[in-house]
Amino acid sequence: MKRRDVGRVVAGATAAGLVGRTAQARLSADAEKVLYEAARADGEFTWYVAHYSTEYANRYAQAFTAKYPGVKVNVVRATSGVVYQRAMQELKVGTPQVDVLGSADIGHYLEMKNKGQLETFRPANGATLLPRLRDVDPDGQYHVTGFGLMGIIYRKDKVKAEDAPKSWLDLADPRWKNQVALSHPAFSGSVATWVVAMTALHGWSYFEKLEKGKPQIGRSLLDTNTMLKTGERLVGIAYMPQAVQDIAKGEPLGLVYPSDGSVLIVGCSAIVKGARKPAAARLFMEFLQSEAFSRMLADDFQEPTRPEVTSRSGVSLATTKLIEQSAADVLKGGPAARERWRDTFGA
Amino acid sequence: MTSTAAAPVRAWLRFDWTMLVWLGLAAVLVFIVVNPLIRLVLASFEVRDGVGYTFDNYLTAYGRPRYVQALVNTLVMGAGVAALCVVFAVPLAWACSRTDMPARGFVRLCVLAAFIMPPYLGAVGWILLAGPNAGWINRAWVAMTGATEPLVNVFSLTGLIVIMACNLFFFVFVFTTSALELVSSEMEDAANILGAGAVRTAFRITLPLIYPAILAGVIVVFLQSLALFGVPALIAIPARYPVVTTQLWQFFESPVRVEVAAAYAIPLLGITIGLLGLQRLLLARKGYVTVSGKGGERRVVRLGAWRWPMFGFAATICLITVFMPLVVQVQAAFSRAWGRGFSLDNLTLENFRFILFEHQMARQSVFNSVTYAAIAALIAILLSLCIAYIVNRKLLRFSGVLAFLCMAPFVIPGIVLAIGFYAAYAPPPLALYGTALILILAFATRALPIAYASNAAGLRAIHPEMEEAVRILGGGRFMAIRRVVAPLLKRSLVGAWVLVFVPTCQELSTAIFLTGPNTRVMSVLLLDLSEEGKLEQLSALGSVLLVITVIIVAIGFRIVGRDFMLRRT
Repeated sequence: MKRRDVGRVVAGATAAGLVGRTAQARLSADAEKVLYEAARADGEFTWYVAHYSTEYANRYAQAFTAKYPGVKVNVVRATSGVVYQRAMQELKVGTPQVDVLGSADIGHYLEMKNKGQLETFRPANGATLLPRLRDVDPDGQYHVTGFGLMGIIYRKDKVKAEDAPKSWLDLADPRWKNQVALSHPAFSGSVATWVVAMTALHGWSYFEKLEKGKPQIGRSLLDTNTMLKTGERLVGIAYMPQAVQDIAKGEPLGLVYPSDGSVLIVGCSAIVKGARKPAAARLFMEFLQSEAFSRMLADDFQEPTRPEVTSRSGVSLATTKLIEQSAADVLKGGPAARERWRDTFGA
Repeated sequence: MTSTAAAPVRAWLRFDWTMLVWLGLAAVLVFIVVNPLIRLVLASFEVRDGVGYTFDNYLTAYGRPRYVQALVNTLVMGAGVAALCVVFAVPLAWACSRTDMPARGFVRLCVLAAFIMPPYLGAVGWILLAGPNAGWINRAWVAMTGATEPLVNVFSLTGLIVIMACNLFFFVFVFTTSALELVSSEMEDAANILGAGAVRTAFRITLPLIYPAILAGVIVVFLQSLALFGVPALIAIPARYPVVTTQLWQFFESPVRVEVAAAYAIPLLGITIGLLGLQRLLLARKGYVTVSGKGGERRVVRLGAWRWPMFGFAATICLITVFMPLVVQVQAAFSRAWGRGFSLDNLTLENFRFILFEHQMARQSVFNSVTYAAIAALIAILLSLCIAYIVNRKLLRFSGVLAFLCMAPFVIPGIVLAIGFYAAYAPPPLALYGTALILILAFATRALPIAYASNAAGLRAIHPEMEEAVRILGGGRFMAIRRVVAPLLKRSLVGAWVLVFVPTCQELSTAIFLTGPNTRVMSVLLLDLSEEGKLEQLSALGSVLLVITVIIVAIGFRIVGRDFMLRRT
C-alpha cells in the first residue's frame, strides 16, 4: 500500500509539472460541464468490460462516480468472449443493455462496426493520447482505453531465472509438461490475439506441440496468474501489467518478455449503437481517456495511455521486441483460431 | 321469446365462469411452458437473419464430429452420475430409514446439506481439494509419498461425475427413502422365514420392490446432470471434456446462432421423452403394489456388527459431499491466498469486504437472487395450488391437461428452457430481455413441477367434506378456500415455498442466458468471478449465498418441521 501511495505522489507531481504545457486539445471544463449535466440526467449506465480485472474495473467505476456524483456505473466484468456474446444477444433482439463495451479483442470492434452496431463518438481527450494510440479507428467508433504486453510468467521461488522459458517456443518444451498455464481464446480476447499472432509467427504446429505438454486451460487470461499463485502451474502466458501488480503485492512471480516478441494487447472501448444512456456513456469515454484515469492506470502498474503520465510497468516499449496485430488481422484470424484451438486442445 | 333467449344466456354465464378460470390458467401455462418450447422448435428451423424454414441448422449442429462428440460425452457423463448417485444414495436411504445405524438423523441432515450446496460451489470446493498440483489432497499425497504424479485430478471425467453426484444424489435418496417407508416388513419377514439372510432379503425382496423409485430417481438425476452449466464451465473446460451445455454456449459466440443452438438442443428433449418412455416400458408389466389399506408394520433392521461399517460408509459420503468441500471453501473465503493454508497471517475479512462493499454489483445480485426466487416461488406455488385444487376436486374437465403442463418443465433442461424463453420473449413485441420479468417467469416455470407435486400431496390430505360444510351453510367456493383450505394448507404451502425457493435462488443454467446487467443474480456473478480464478472472493460470495439459503431453510424447519424437504416430489 505504501508503495502505491508513493507512486501516487510521484505521478501527481509529474502531472502538476506538466499542466502548464498541456493546453492542447482536451475536454474543456465547459464541455465537461455540459456533458456531466446530460449524464446526470441519465443517472447511470452499464459498462461491460474485459480488459481490466474485476477488482480494478470496480475501482475505476467508483472513481468515476466519485468524480461525477449522480452517475452510477453498472459494472459487468467478464472475458471479452462473454462480454461480446452478451452484447450480441442483446443487440440481436434490439434491446441493448450495454452502453459502453470494453473488450481486449480488437476484432470484435471491427466486426460490430461493419454491422453498424457502434456509435460514432470521438472523445475530445482522444486527440492527445500517446501518438500510436490515437485514431485506431479512422471513423472514430472505437478508442484505445488501455494497453499492455503479453509475455511469460514463472514461479520465481521454484524456477531459477536462467531455467525460465525465454521465448514462446520454450513453453512447448517437454520439460514443462503438466506445468504450463494457458487461457482460452474463445473467452479471452487477449489470448485470441495471441493465438493469431503465434499462428502467424510459428505456424499452427506450435499449438500442437504445446498441447503435448498438457497445459491447464483457464478462461480469462488473468486466470493464469492465479494458477501460478496457487502453485497449480509453474509457467504461463500472462498479461504483464497484471503480473507486475501481483509482484508489487509480494507474489513470487518472475517476468519474461519473450525473445520472439511480446504481443501488444490493445483494450478498446466503444459506445453501442442505440445505447440507452448515451450522455453518461460519452462522459465515461472521456473519463477513460483522461489524464486522471491514466494516472490511475499507472498507479496500478498498467500502461497509461497518455504521454504526460509515466509508466510504472517497468518495461520500455521502445526497446522491447513487439508483435502488433491489426484489427483486421484479429477479425480475420480470430474465428478460425478459436475453432482450431478447440480441435487441437479439445476444449 | 324472452325465456328462450334468457336460457342460453344463463347457460352461457354458468358455463363461462368455470371455463374462464380454466382458460386463464391454461393461458398462463401456455405462456410460460408451451410457447417457449414451440418457439424453440420453430427457431431450430429458422433461417438466420432471413425468412422461411430450413433443415440446415441441424446439419450445422451435428455436422462436425466435435459437436456430436460433445453429445456422446454428455450421455457418458450422465450415465456415470446416475450410477454413482445410486451407489451413494440407495444404501444410505436404506440405512437411514430401515436400520439401526448410528446418527441417522445427522446423516439425513448432511444429505440435505449436500443438496443445499449448489453444484458449482461444490466444484469450487473440489478444485481446492483436488487440483492436480495445488489441491489439498494432492499436496498431502506428494508430501507423504514423494510421488511426482497427483493422486486425484478434479479436471477429469471422474471429477465431473463425482462433483455432480455430490449434489444430485439427494434426489435418489429422497425417492428411495419415501419408497422404503412404504414397504412393510411383512414381505421381508416372509423371506426370512423361508430361510433368506438379511443381505439376500435386501437384494431379492426390498430392492426389487423399491426399484421403480430408484429408477425414477436415476432418470431425474440423469436429466439434471445433462442440464448443468456451472460445473462443466469450471471443470470440463480444463478437463478438455466438451459437453452439450458448453457447446450450446459456443453457439452464442460470435456470430450468435440461436437457430443452431435450438437445433442442437432438440435431441436433449428427445432423450428426455425417450427416457420417460423407457421408464414406462420397464415398469409396465410388473406389479409394485406394496401399499394396501391394511398398512404393514415397518420394523428396524438390526445391523449388529455391521452397524459401524455402515456408519463409516455414510460418514464417508457426508465427508465427500459436504464437509470436505465446505471446509476448504470457508478457508478460502477467509484467506488472503487459499494456497497458503490455515494460518493466522493468512486470515482476512478482505474478501467479504470486497464482495459486500467494493464490488458494484455483488450486493445488487444478492438482492436480485433473493427477490426473484421469492417471487418466482410464490407464482409457482399459487399457480400450482389453483391447478392442484381443480384437479383434486375434479372441478373442471380437462384438468389433467393442466396437471400435465405443470409437471412438464421438470424434464426440460434449464438451459433449453432458457433458449426457448430467449427465442419467445427477448425480441419485440415483448422485448423482455434484460428485465427481471423474464427471469422471474423462467424461474417460476422451472419451479412449477416441485410446487405442484408438493401442493397436490398437501391437498390430497384434506377431505372435501369440510369445504362441503361451508357450502351447505351458504358459503361460496372462494369462502371455503379462504376459510378452510388455506388455513389447513398453511404449513404445507410454506414448506413448498421453501422447497422451491432454495434451488431457484441458486439457479444458474437458465439465468446465464436471460440475465442482463441490472438483473444479475448471484450464480451468474459467481461464474463471472470464476473466470479470473479468484477463488477467495468467489468463496466469500458463495458463503453469503449458503448462509442465506441455510437461514431460509432453518425458518422452514421452524414452521413446518424438519421433514418437509424429504417429502416425495
